[in-house]
Amino acid sequence: MSIEPITGRYLNTTIGGRNQRIYFEEAGQGRPVLCLHTAGAHSAQWRHLMNDARITETHHLIAFDMPWHAKSLPPAGFQTEEYLLTTDSYIETVLAVIDGLGLEKPVLAGCSMGGRIALQLAALHPDRFSGFIAIEASDFQPAWYDIDWFHRPDAHGGEMGAALVSANISPHAPEVERWNTLWMFMASGPGVFRGDLSFYTKDDSLTGRLDRIDTAKTPVHFLVGAYDLTCTPEDARRTADAIPGATVTVMDTLGHFPMSEHPEGFRPYFVDALDRMA
Amino acid sequence: MLEDIEALPDRIAARPHLLRLGALVSETVLLRVDEIEHYLRFDRGRLAAVIPGPSKKIPYRFAIITDREAIEKFWQPLPEPGFHDIFGLVKIGRAEILGDILALVKNLRYFKEVLALPREDRA
Repeated sequence: MSIEPITGRYLNTTIGGRNQRIYFEEAGQGRPVLCLHTAGAHSAQWRHLMNDARITETHHLIAFDMPWHAKSLPPAGFQTEEYLLTTDSYIETVLAVIDGLGLEKPVLAGCSMGGRIALQLAALHPDRFSGFIAIEASDFQPAWYDIDWFHRPDAHGGEMGAALVSANISPHAPEVERWNTLWMFMASGPGVFRGDLSFYTKDDSLTGRLDRIDTAKTPVHFLVGAYDLTCTPEDARRTADAIPGATVTVMDTLGHFPMSEHPEGFRPYFVDALDRMA
Repeated sequence: MLEDIEALPDRIAARPHLLRLGALVSETVLLRVDEIEHYLRFDRGRLAAVIPGPSKKIPYRFAIITDREAIEKFWQPLPEPGFHDIFGLVKIGRAEILGDILALVKNLRYFKEVLALPREDRA
């Protein structure tokens, strides 16, 4: 029997003029590292790193569930709304969490849509951060699927979403972590994955902003898995090439959810990325 | 390859979770590997028949079209990137999915696991 060192609490804040109750978890001490989950999932994607004493002895890891995801319940009135994440609301959410938790210039580590918004923040709000770890991140990814598949009255969007994103998990991933990763998609609320993908696959506003990123002030390091079909190594390299000073590491045996699907495989890459944030 | 396809009905029948996942799957799927066609007739999660083609008379819901080298790579226990998933094959230009793709997507886990069953022989 054991109790993990991760603790969870709730932040009540206002985003877009609406009250939001945001669930966050944290572990460790030292340099703050704010971790952003992928579309259709939640903060538990970071559970392994937050339980890794070798990382948390010098880093304070914080991860939160985006509104509508997992323990961050949707705002009042959600029942008649169509959930569609936008760049502006995503940025406001991340900054509200930083303000609410009193984080001083954290490193921002985001995966997939979290990596996308990390790059947006690197371009638009670099003064709030000390560096950016852009995991499975790129400038823009038009959908190779129909996002409306994942919110239909005649099928289970979560199960369909999980089956689709399984294409992005490496065959090297341990079976138990593959299925833990997929479970989060299976369990996502109706229309949430679709609403996240609307941001991820339709908003191309980052493309024209990459040249604003100053890696001399805030380093940017890309981590990308060779088995990622959604954001391929070529996508990450293309994006990094547009940011002078950005660096890229391709992770040969990992996929789109490296911290969740294969934590032991991902750990050395993440430690190396943290070292580059110095 | 033919043996792999012919072995699918028994393999599916031996997996209760696939029968449960496929309980609403009663479709015919065309699998074409190079010029060799097989019509896979599913009935409530069981693969009731594997019918050799070609045929212009058998209606099918969707078709998966690939080549022999690609499907052999797909069936490896640790496939190379791109060969690890049917949508990966499509993305790298080694497969096409034609027809009613939504019928595939609604039962995507079922079909993915069925199509990957021959990996077990190569483990």
